Amino acid sequence: MRDRLESLAERLARSSVVDRLVISLAALVTAVLIGGVLVFVSGAFASCRTGLELGGATFCYNPMQVYYELFLGALGHPLEGGWTLTNYSLATTLQQTTLLIFTGLSVAVAFRAGLLNIGTQGQLVVGGLATAVTVVYAAAVVPTGFIGALVLIPLGVLAGALAGGVYGAIPGALKAYADANEVITTIMLNIIAVGITSTLLSWQFQDPNSPNPQTAPVPEYAEIPTIPGGFGGGMDFSLLALAFAVALMIGIAWLFARTSFGYELRTSGIQPGAAAYGGVNEKRMTVASMTLSGALGGIGGAFWVLMVHGRWLENVPSLGFDGIAVSVLAGNSPIGVGAAAFLFGIFDSGGNSIKTATDVPPELVGILTGFIILFVAMPEFFRLLGRRYITVDAARPARADGGDAGVDDGGDDDA
Amino acid sequence: MSEPEPGTTDGTGPTAAVETNTAALDGTNSDLAVHLDGITKRFPGVVANDDVDLRVERGTVHALLGENGAGKTTLMNVLYGLYRPDEGRVVIDGEERTFDSPRDAIDAGIGMIHQHFMLVDPMTVAENIALGNEPTKWFGMAVDRDRIDREVRDLCDRYGFEVDPDATVENVSVGVQQRVEILKALFRGADVLILDEPTAVLTPQEVEGLYDVLEELTAQGKTIIFITHKLEEATHAADAITVLRDGESVGTVDPDRTDREALAERMVGREVILEADSDPVETGDTVLSTRDVTVEDDRGVEVVSGIDLDVRAGEILGIAGVDGNGQAELIEAITGLRLPDEGRINYAGDDITTWSRRRRIENGMAYIPEDRQERGLVMPFDLVENGVLGSQRSGRFASGGRIDWPGVRDHAEEIIETYDVRPPDANADARSFSGGNQQKFIVGREFERDPSLVVATHPTRGVDIGSTEFIHDRLLELRREGVAVLLVSSKLDEIRSLSDRLAVMYEGEFIDVTDPDAVTEEELGLRMAGQRPDGEADRHPNPGESR
Repeated sequence: MRDRLESLAERLARSSVVDRLVISLAALVTAVLIGGVLVFVSGAFASCRTGLELGGATFCYNPMQVYYELFLGALGHPLEGGWTLTNYSLATTLQQTTLLIFTGLSVAVAFRAGLLNIGTQGQLVVGGLATAVTVVYAAAVVPTGFIGALVLIPLGVLAGALAGGVYGAIPGALKAYADANEVITTIMLNIIAVGITSTLLSWQFQDPNSPNPQTAPVPEYAEIPTIPGGFGGGMDFSLLALAFAVALMIGIAWLFARTSFGYELRTSGIQPGAAAYGGVNEKRMTVASMTLSGALGGIGGAFWVLMVHGRWLENVPSLGFDGIAVSVLAGNSPIGVGAAAFLFGIFDSGGNSIKTATDVPPELVGILTGFIILFVAMPEFFRLLGRRYITVDAARPARADGGDAGVDDGGDDDA
Repeated sequence: MSEPEPGTTDGTGPTAAVETNTAALDGTNSDLAVHLDGITKRFPGVVANDDVDLRVERGTVHALLGENGAGKTTLMNVLYGLYRPDEGRVVIDGEERTFDSPRDAIDAGIGMIHQHFMLVDPMTVAENIALGNEPTKWFGMAVDRDRIDREVRDLCDRYGFEVDPDATVENVSVGVQQRVEILKALFRGADVLILDEPTAVLTPQEVEGLYDVLEELTAQGKTIIFITHKLEEATHAADAITVLRDGESVGTVDPDRTDREALAERMVGREVILEADSDPVETGDTVLSTRDVTVEDDRGVEVVSGIDLDVRAGEILGIAGVDGNGQAELIEAITGLRLPDEGRINYAGDDITTWSRRRRIENGMAYIPEDRQERGLVMPFDLVENGVLGSQRSGRFASGGRIDWPGVRDHAEEIIETYDVRPPDANADARSFSGGNQQKFIVGREFERDPSLVVATHPTRGVDIGSTEFIHDRLLELRREGVAVLLVSSKLDEIRSLSDRLAVMYEGEFIDVTDPDAVTEEELGLRMAGQRPDGEADRHPNPGESR
């Protein structure tokens, strides 16, 4: 048993794909345990009619129930009777997953190129408006019905990608040619995006039939259809959109792993000096990767418009900012973004479930999900724990010449 | 601080070393400061040390000589408590010890000076020396700075170190930083000092200084073990040399009773030709030429001033000089990493002054960079991925924007085999290889690019003798095939034996361009220090004209 524990710990100490999964799982369990205790204890300070009497105090919240709602509620309670795959909660989860894949990928692409794109939000805002406006105006000249959908939806997505791409290229160019820090410029451009879009809205694109700040709706046939029909019981979610997001995710992973561009992008992100040595034009790479990142953010905006609301609203949710957390949680790996986006989707939908099924305040739910993100985002901590319980030798990567791994024992300057 | 053992004599000199060998037979010699007895250390798949014996007499300098990957560092890590041996005993001062960590080894009076210094740059020399072992006052409430100062000054006086305890570490030279590391070990009470490739980062003058330091230390009864793969150092500074090969000890020798050739043979396991042979060959057209090239460094200071040079096909032009005289910037301008401020660069008939780096690579310019860990390799990438660096868009490995990874893998494995990169694992990250093996891989990648020009800066830096010989042979072979070679090296013997013509660079200019056989090493040294050739008011600024 001890041997098995040791070998598990040893595997944890070394990092590979399988180990990352194991580490993430360990993190999840730890976070749930700590969060569970927190929920249980805070139950003592709440007032309720029924609760667990223990040592004179009444514990109002049942942590088991809270986590049950968080994880299984987000899937629509699959263990209870009458469950269907097409339930509303699961659709909510997957809707968020879809949108967060786009923004998470956006952040991840820039991150892998060594750039911190905080501006996905702005790129999404701009891209979304471009999508809505393009589709509304183009609808006038395109036949209705199925043909219209076939033309308008790709056109709208393309418009979002283009607008987001251009909006991402701006901080890229500022970085490459004016040496402006992309963190500052993208944050600024987020604010500018809100300003530009609301000005454009009031100037030209405001829906005349509505007092709310929003564009006119796109024709119903131009919204991304709910497939299969009736999925989600009224929730705006399309499996088609999710499939597109997953395909894009795999595409980006393929781009990184197989193509010259992906190779150059990764090299630039890890070691700019080596990239320059290898013939990568640093400035062009900065603009290119920011453009791609912005385009992905813009696609996120396009799907938010075409799948969720059917129009652009001034009040854009913080999908772009959540994308940063998704990407960091995923270690900036495209495939990891899918998993992280799903986790965030669960938190969103599961949070709603907790709200309806229990008295636990939403703030506490925020703390629980925060714990999970926190723990999953610090794999190094668990790797360290793994190392503690095995001998130093086993934890060191093997080296045939026995030198310190990672330490250069050359570097000579011979006389 | 522990005092030198009473009764310890200045056990320096060859006689002491010979005695080590004979006394070693009975195994209980109390004069042995360190006795490693039958050490075996295995790593998954390899035996890094196989039944190695090491007997180090007190008050001597003992060299541990071997090629990259011979197991020197592993053995010393065992002594320093970083590894626990699978078999064998560690005996310090006649007493068997088991070390669980370097802390235990330090307590037993062992200090290790790593090749890469572990100093806090913004802190003073004295603070660094005391760091971790600070004497305190007011019941541990405050650091006793006066005492640190006093003790550090005492130490410097005692061993004749010229070190200013109040200087900030980042402001002192590498040689001084090394002394700070040595002082740090002494401050902790080390009697046995392990130096891992101590000359690797030093200038020739600093190396001489280090030898003096070692002498002073042994005179005061300290014991030195130093790891090296350089024959000169071992024969010059050591009282005894233990040679390791493939994890096994192949004997301890007295440096005065052996010669370099015999040592090299022992180390490599076969006969080695130390001097590369460069028969003159027919040179062809001019491949590379620069005219009046002026380059500024990152701070905007002009460091290359109007350099003219020509390299013909089938010729090796060497550039000698003390590092920091503009060689790096000149090479960066030629290879496309830095835009020259003035002048033109011609390559194979084209004016390439403003060409991109990629275009130069595509046109057959191979480049072994000075800084392998910053430029030459992407450290977190494995060797397969590193094998395509620079060729990621070339038709050989990519088509339609996609990289042919199986082809790249074959290529990387070929380089690994041909250039003897150890361990031969293409899937291992570049950073897990030792410096010499990283260098071999870069050299292999660049040489196998089918180049028409090779720009090689310090191509054998950190590389062991056997591989150095191979790299030299390969370089000469390329030259015979009609490749033009621009070679920058601070190894005088290397640059003299390989170059057809030799330019000496000093403060951004060529002091002299000559036939390397026509000058002595001393003359070269003087020119590297800025002295122009005697009786020649007019120098030859243009190596293209000197022929």
